Amino acid sequence: MDPSQLLKGVLDLAVLAVLRDADGYGYDVLRRLRAAGLEDVADASVYGTLRRLFAAGALTSYVQPSEEGPHRKYYGLNKTGRDLLADSTKTWSHFADTMSGLLHMEAA
Amino acid sequence: MNSTLTGPVATYLAQVRAELSDLPPGELEDVLEDVSGHLTEVAAEFEQELTAAALDERLGSPRQYADELRTAAGYPPRTQQAADRGAGRKALRWGIIACTVGPFLLVVGLVGGSFDTVAFFGLLGLATLFGAAYLGVRALNGQDPRIVLDEPRGAQWAESIRGLVDQLPPNVRRELVTIGQPVWWVARGVVGGGGFFAMFGAGAVTVVGALAGAAVSIWIGRRTQQDRRWLWYVVPLNLVATIAVPLWLAASFVGGSSGLFSSSSYHNDPASNYAVGGLALDGQRIDNIYPFDAQGRQVSVRLYDQNGQPISVQPEDCAAIYGSNVSTEPTSNLFPQPALMKGADSAGDAESCKDTTEAPFVPPPLPASTTPSAGTTATTTPSTKPTPTAPTSTPRPGPTLTISPTR
Repeated sequence: MDPSQLLKGVLDLAVLAVLRDADGYGYDVLRRLRAAGLEDVADASVYGTLRRLFAAGALTSYVQPSEEGPHRKYYGLNKTGRDLLADSTKTWSHFADTMSGLLHMEAA
Repeated sequence: MNSTLTGPVATYLAQVRAELSDLPPGELEDVLEDVSGHLTEVAAEFEQELTAAALDERLGSPRQYADELRTAAGYPPRTQQAADRGAGRKALRWGIIACTVGPFLLVVGLVGGSFDTVAFFGLLGLATLFGAAYLGVRALNGQDPRIVLDEPRGAQWAESIRGLVDQLPPNVRRELVTIGQPVWWVARGVVGGGGFFAMFGAGAVTVVGALAGAAVSIWIGRRTQQDRRWLWYVVPLNLVATIAVPLWLAASFVGGSSGLFSSSSYHNDPASNYAVGGLALDGQRIDNIYPFDAQGRQVSVRLYDQNGQPISVQPEDCAAIYGSNVSTEPTSNLFPQPALMKGADSAGDAESCKDTTEAPFVPPPLPASTTPSAGTTATTTPSTKPTPTAPTSTPRPGPTLTISPTR
């Protein structure tokens, strides 16, 4: 099974999750996702996801000067984003449990 | 928008922008801000010089990148397919006119004669070029400039150009972009800006014009990488520059410091001192002639050429220099002509200036003389300043005496 296919459905959740504790700019989000083990995530799709979540009103955005280069656009969770994260987390947990149960039942 | 991107990164960004050009302007700028930041970070991952190929390998082609972005961001699918087919054809046609008629008129102006011709064809050519380019961009009607590549003719040309580029070895291609491009930007700007101001004379203005031209040219180059619509202006202007830059270089080497425009207008201006005739021997200018008879005595002669035309030189006597005594023949064929007496002109004004027709050298011994004696010649032509390096040529065939209307 191709992990990148699975990733597509949960990329929103993954991005929300890495922004939960600290705001981040695009490349930062990308790095956090990779560090968490999502090696196959495509760069452009992360940027697209950030734009979509922002358009949906789940993220705030602000520009901050950086020492080593151009200004960076940071994204952070707002109230809507936190609610969406909590909601999605529940959905995912439920789904993951269901899948696990299914797979273990098959195996048994 | 980050404007410090250069080279492959800027190109990549421009291509992503083109792929997303159907987005609403505000969203386009916002998302490209992210993309530009992303590309900057990715470029920093590379330790050596970043190439377009390396960027494609790391991120996928600009089109793939844009498609991924579009899908993840939930943007509507690309609307280019619905584009008005006529727009591409019109834009391409105006582009071709801008690339052919405009440069043709400009080149006619550049090589053609007088200041008036240069000005007439130059202005007509510029008007045609910019007018056609403007109409071409307007024909695009806000659509992606790439639609011209969907036209059969556009696609065909793009294919053949790509074929030519592919024939170059990859390292040559890379060098051409990294070194050739900036050099070209500066060169075309210097010639364009400098050439324009050279038409109006002053050297200092030309230098400033050349520097300003280079700066503008670099700016235009960068803009064009980001917004391909500029190509409608830049491609025809590049064509003009491709012809003008070598011409300029050739003219600079041939004509010394004077540029293409100034030298071509000088040749056609009879009042200019470049057009004044002169007397020359093997390319060396002759200011005066001191005839001596068979006995070694200085004599005066009138000189004529094979057609009976008097042979004369520009007078360089006191009258010519200080403008006094205007009754003297302007150009006499009587030689030797009066020349300034050496040392008599110390005060540098008309009163102290004295003319002399005496040879400022000791004539060489006569060909018949077997025992040359400096004493005899010195007495016949007393000179205050004998010059041993004076003309040693005795009448013998070989050197050619030429009278040329221009230098």
